[in-house]
Amino acid sequence: MRARPLLAACAVLLFAGPAGAEEDLVSGLSQDSVQITSNYTGTDLTVFGAIEGRPELETGRETIIVVVRGPDATVTVRRKDRFAGVWINNARARLVGLPSYYFLASTRPLDEIAPADTLRRYELGLDTLRPQTALSDGSIMPYVRALVRAEVKNGLYAQDTQGVEMLSPTLFRVRVAVPASVPRGFYVVQAFLFRDGTVISAQSTPLFVDQTGFERRLFAFAHERPLLYGLSTVLMAVLLGWFSTLFFRRGM
Amino acid sequence: MEIYLPIAEMSVHWLVVLGMGFGVGFLSGMFGIGGGFLLTPLLIFYGIPPGVAVATTASQITSVTFSGVISQWRRRSVDLKMGAVMLVGGFVGTGAGVYLFSVLRRMGQSEFSVSASYVILLGAVGGLMLNESVRTLRAARNGASASGRKPGQHNWIHGLPLKMRFRQSRLYISAIPVVALGFVVGVLSAIMGVGGAFLMVPVMIYVLRMPTNVVIGTSLFQVLFVTAAATVLHAVDNYTVDIVLALFLILGGVFGVQYGVRAGAKLRGEQLRFWLAVLVLAVAARLFFEMVATPADLYSITAGTP
Repeated sequence: MRARPLLAACAVLLFAGPAGAEEDLVSGLSQDSVQITSNYTGTDLTVFGAIEGRPELETGRETIIVVVRGPDATVTVRRKDRFAGVWINNARARLVGLPSYYFLASTRPLDEIAPADTLRRYELGLDTLRPQTALSDGSIMPYVRALVRAEVKNGLYAQDTQGVEMLSPTLFRVRVAVPASVPRGFYVVQAFLFRDGTVISAQSTPLFVDQTGFERRLFAFAHERPLLYGLSTVLMAVLLGWFSTLFFRRGM
Repeated sequence: MEIYLPIAEMSVHWLVVLGMGFGVGFLSGMFGIGGGFLLTPLLIFYGIPPGVAVATTASQITSVTFSGVISQWRRRSVDLKMGAVMLVGGFVGTGAGVYLFSVLRRMGQSEFSVSASYVILLGAVGGLMLNESVRTLRAARNGASASGRKPGQHNWIHGLPLKMRFRQSRLYISAIPVVALGFVVGVLSAIMGVGGAFLMVPVMIYVLRMPTNVVIGTSLFQVLFVTAAATVLHAVDNYTVDIVLALFLILGGVFGVQYGVRAGAKLRGEQLRFWLAVLVLAVAARLFFEMVATPADLYSITAGTP
């Protein structure tokens, strides 16, 4: 799990939150785990929350940002170059520690909420995401931007600056789309309350995403006993081939 | 209804996958080919990771060929000795191919090498087939019979040592080209997810000069074992065999083959070969176009370390 933004969020929780802030933020999830089953096609998760006190969301002095982060991943990004008319993977970068899933919702455009360095400290916004370590041919930024582009296309990265829905002056709700291709693991849901460009309250809630039942067992089987798994696949193939001949001989 | 593939870690529509299995099975029954060279690119085009597509297609071919081997076996048109000698090379080649594939994957060149080998092989085989079938069709129209195998004709193959007698094929030839052919087909099967019959059958007929009636049975026999080995080795080395995907492809495939065989019986041999050649060249052209056309995004993402 990612250290920097989490620590920052904890610090806010410990010091800024209880120490006499006028408003405090409480948030929760519609479910604390997502189970991927055989007919899983993605689901909608709801993050809901309330601000205690007298928030000034309408005036724009205060804003809410909700972030859902998946487990960190290591990815390799490759760039194609043209050789003799054919496109071949040439340069590459290994990026360690970028989230495998990132969703952000806020009440206003991010640059109106806080200065760029604050956003970067909490990693709020797709353009603030940076790998912890990276090994690349040349500058890493083109690779990072390419990854963000690809993940937005895959539905694994998303940012909606109008995604926080106010149900009343103090109650809010955020719908998070969790597509079928989400990786398994521990997720963190973070909610931030900003006032005049600084975080005055924050909360983070864990979320667990896992494959269940049959799929989970097949995945474990394939990885723990690969030889037996391969042989079973061949056996299944041969049996089905055999049954089909019996079926068609009778049918004819 | 969508189904979740536990190894590919994505959802697909079961009808689409079943339909792909059926369609490719149909063509494979009609033309007497494995159909892997169509199924692998089709799966990749649908969004299945290339590694999973190659490995899972191998298991589908195992299933589809199994029923073929049974019926050829009943007709006694499998040269077991030839098949066994070929398999020695086949198993070594499959092992080498799976290893090569995992090295290429780490280098980030698996996709390129899969496409490149498809373009070269399909282009060559399709071109030869088209040329041959057009000549035969034209000859048939002119009333002359096409020239086939001339008995007693010798070629360089007969000068090689380690001669063996293959009674069923009525051949006395060196084991070297037989093992070598098996090896090449094994490598292709592992890195392209194909059975390799489209390469093996012409070599058996024109180079080894095997009689046509045992060519199909023996090549199916070889394909059955090589693709089964490729499935197991991919499962062990690369964890890329998706059994759920395999199930749907097979179910579609085994039915497709039966209807394909029936449809194929209504067409004439030269016509079949002509249309197969056109199909092979079309797949090659499409893959070649993808290699030279400027990609939509120059960057591509792979999970994990290179």
